[in-house]
Amino acid sequence: MLRKAICILLLFPVLSFADDQNERERERERMVERQIVNRGIEHGPTIEAMRTVPRHLFVPDAQKRNAYNDSPLPIGHGQTISQPYIVAYMTEVIRPETDYRVLEIGAGSGYHAAVISKIVDEVYTIEIIPELGQSARERLARLGFDNVEVKIADGYHGWEEHAPFDAIVVTAAAEHIPPPLVEQLKDGGKMIIPVGSPFFTQQLTLVEKRGEEIRTRNLMPVRFVPFRRADD
Amino acid sequence: MQKRLLISVGLLSVAIIAIQLVLMQILSITQWYHFAYMVISVAMLGFGFSGTVLAIARQWFLDRAETVIPLLMILSGLTMALVIPVTQSLLGGFDMYLLFVDTSQVWLLIVTYLIYLIPFFLAALAIGLIFVKYVANIGTVYFANLIGSGLGGIVAIVFLWTYFPNQLPGFVALLPVAAGLLLITKKYRRAFAALSSLSIIIAVFFIARPVDLTVSEYKSISYTMDLPGAVVEDERVSPHGLVQVVSSDALRHAPGLSLAYTGEIPVRKAVFNNGEWFGPLVAWTREDTTHLMDYSTTALPFNTGYRENVLVINAGTGTDVSLALTHNAQNVAAVEPNIPVISMMMDEYAAEIDSLFHHPAVRVQTLEPRTYLKITREQYDLITMPTIDAFGGTAGLYALQEQYTLTREAFSEMWHRLSPDGMISITSWMDYPVRNPLKILATLMELLENEGVDSIEDHLVAIRSWGTVSFFVKRTPLTADEIDSIRQFCRTMFFDPVILPDLQEGERTHYNDIEDRSFFNYVDEILASDREQLFRDYDFHLRPASDNRPYFSQFLRWESLPHLRELFGDQAVPFLEVGYLVVAVTFIQIFVAAVVLILLPLFRIGFKGTGKMWTVLYFSGLGLGFMFIEIVLIQRFILYLGHPIYSAATVITALLICSGVGSYVSSRFQASPRILRRAAGIVAGFTLLYILILPFLLEWTIGLPLIVKGLLSFLIIAPPAFFMGMPFPLGLRYVSSRNESHVPWAWGINGCMSVVSTALATIIAVEFGFVVVMVCAAVAYGVAVVVNAGR
Repeated sequence: MLRKAICILLLFPVLSFADDQNERERERERMVERQIVNRGIEHGPTIEAMRTVPRHLFVPDAQKRNAYNDSPLPIGHGQTISQPYIVAYMTEVIRPETDYRVLEIGAGSGYHAAVISKIVDEVYTIEIIPELGQSARERLARLGFDNVEVKIADGYHGWEEHAPFDAIVVTAAAEHIPPPLVEQLKDGGKMIIPVGSPFFTQQLTLVEKRGEEIRTRNLMPVRFVPFRRADD
Repeated sequence: MQKRLLISVGLLSVAIIAIQLVLMQILSITQWYHFAYMVISVAMLGFGFSGTVLAIARQWFLDRAETVIPLLMILSGLTMALVIPVTQSLLGGFDMYLLFVDTSQVWLLIVTYLIYLIPFFLAALAIGLIFVKYVANIGTVYFANLIGSGLGGIVAIVFLWTYFPNQLPGFVALLPVAAGLLLITKKYRRAFAALSSLSIIIAVFFIARPVDLTVSEYKSISYTMDLPGAVVEDERVSPHGLVQVVSSDALRHAPGLSLAYTGEIPVRKAVFNNGEWFGPLVAWTREDTTHLMDYSTTALPFNTGYRENVLVINAGTGTDVSLALTHNAQNVAAVEPNIPVISMMMDEYAAEIDSLFHHPAVRVQTLEPRTYLKITREQYDLITMPTIDAFGGTAGLYALQEQYTLTREAFSEMWHRLSPDGMISITSWMDYPVRNPLKILATLMELLENEGVDSIEDHLVAIRSWGTVSFFVKRTPLTADEIDSIRQFCRTMFFDPVILPDLQEGERTHYNDIEDRSFFNYVDEILASDREQLFRDYDFHLRPASDNRPYFSQFLRWESLPHLRELFGDQAVPFLEVGYLVVAVTFIQIFVAAVVLILLPLFRIGFKGTGKMWTVLYFSGLGLGFMFIEIVLIQRFILYLGHPIYSAATVITALLICSGVGSYVSSRFQASPRILRRAAGIVAGFTLLYILILPFLLEWTIGLPLIVKGLLSFLIIAPPAFFMGMPFPLGLRYVSSRNESHVPWAWGINGCMSVVSTALATIIAVEFGFVVVMVCAAVAYGVAVVVNAGR
């Protein structure tokens, strides 16, 4: 009897962990159905990537239970991990294909890079805040996202060594679109960028390079809910 | 009457006004102006609360007045010294912006209110008790109170030029302590000495070691400080606010830059005022032949013709000034009212901007731009102003900021200062839901119609980039060459024309398409002079602002709230128009609190009996009327004196000092209903008269030198102010002769209504304009007349 009890006690953390994992998977599945598919995201690889990447492992511990909520979450240093729908929408808009080389500006927790990395061969992501960049790099490596490379630098300059890119995803709002990024976009390439203050209304803008011409398209307004910094 | 008592009342009154202004400044730095206004308004309920407490425990306080009065004064000084350390250190995490998303912030807000309320309550209780005790000499005591309050404004402004705002509560706190020391009795001399010493030590400690101010993380300086290597290089204090210069390796400024730009965007230092973005140290030298802003929609006028004379409104750190110089402008008037920023640009940072403001072609004017427009006789080939609204919108944070450069009168004055080929240029970020561009267009259309322009479509141009839209009105019709140049400029820069003669199908979205094209429909509706329909149907307020209602950024329409909630969700609405909502919430809170505080003493003095309705109506009328007039006069004198600070200082000082004299003189009159009626009636009459004559008086004399205008302002304000000082002390004496227990209650009612009036005046001004606020002031004094009729 005692031996049985000890076995159950020893198994408890394992069972509890498994339960937790199952619960997160169920939450993720619900998130994909309700927030992604039901809202009109149709790009199969994007939906599949959103279904696979464990978002709860990209948020601070205190936010794990909210990881699959329909909202952005604070990740520290005044930065947020975008709302799941926004991640899916920005990914779908660039129509990533397997042989794509994608640059992300503003790695944050690394979640968006992880989602894109499930679809394309190479993802390069840059983070300006060293603490965030370092933890994103370690997290992505630990979770096995081997096709993502993280650089800690000012994203303004892009990543010339790996240019040109098929697509560039800018996750941080900018009051101007850095010329080096436009320069590093392939002919026919697409860049998606939120325009506006990160704390108020933003519009997602798609920039397309067509030969000598550069065209933009304001896609939709996005509002990021403000959050207290996680480190406060 | 003891001289010491009057000096003591005066000192305490200086402190009460000074601490209000200092706390407003601190809260404007850490949060936003309207939040500051909200906290102070609620804290000022300390006045009403003191009346309630006095009415309930009048005899208890009177029996101990000699001890309690100095004690209250010293304690109010002590709490003034502690209010900032306590709220910043213990409650530093409070953030107005989170109020709508985090319920714990509501509790923090309530605690903040209570802490701010304490010094006001203690000081008001001391003054109220003196009023009650010396009601027979109320004219003289009230005189000391008003003179002290008048000087308080000046003292605060002198302090704000000299010390950092976080040091100032310590300085101000010494005044009530001094006031208390003047009145201490022998009985508790040692205890008073100990308490005063403690208060002085604490005040001096926080002057020497002021607490750091925690700035909201949603202010632009906070997220700039997150950039690598960001440091505050320089700070300067003044009543304009706290100016800070920040440098960082990643600080680049090129708002709305064209995608055609392929060059480097230089790293520049940036200037912030009260934590808000003010401008970059411009990347420009006298040898430059192109400018970064040549790649923005704002640069269009320089591509359609030579602009020899340029007027830059709100020149800031000089971005538009340098753009004009790059295009060889020979005469650039740079009008910027922020004196500390201009002085920094002309002195310490002159070398970093190639002495931009010392350029021989540049004339700097540290004035409100409207004042300059009224006094200048020059003609300009271009009148330009900085981009409206912050990048990405400001969530209505500036909804209640008076913006006199964006009113229909302002545009009319600009129009008359244009040379024959001159242009007005105004740029806005493309916000969503779209508000700013539509209101600009509506204002410009109204301008052209009012000026009798025949073919409006030949005078109006708008072009759009991926993020901004610029509007231009030209005095004479656009020529074919100019239209070609505009198209050429758009093609080179990847911009699209939005309004242009002979606009072709598809031209509006060739380079920059929009998923939601309703923007163009709204533009066309405004152009088709069918805009009344749009004004009625649109979810936001789009009618042009006027000098009577100078709230350009106020877009909120109460009737649209349900629809906006449906579209954006409950949480989003506050972020669309937070400024006005804050004032509305403040008003409701204050009103409810005022009603409670007015009713509460009735449980003590009884609901029945004669004269209660008279007391409520008479003292409410005075409380509302006085503040309505003060608020409107401050607004009216901003353009006249060229600066909000000059205006506030002049109006407050003149009004309170002259009222003080009026109060002093009133002691010679018997407090009878007839005299009360006359005094209130004269004020009501003056108010109505000033609605009619004040605008003309100010318009005629605006060209005079500032010092003369200051003197004239005093003379204009003096007559009504003199009479405004009479009804309150006369009323208190009258009440005292009938029922002494009503005196503290009347003091409380007056205090409560003065606070209600500050929020109410703003709401009335936004909805109906300043003229209606003045009419309401006349009506409020009229009530004080009517209640005395037939007595």
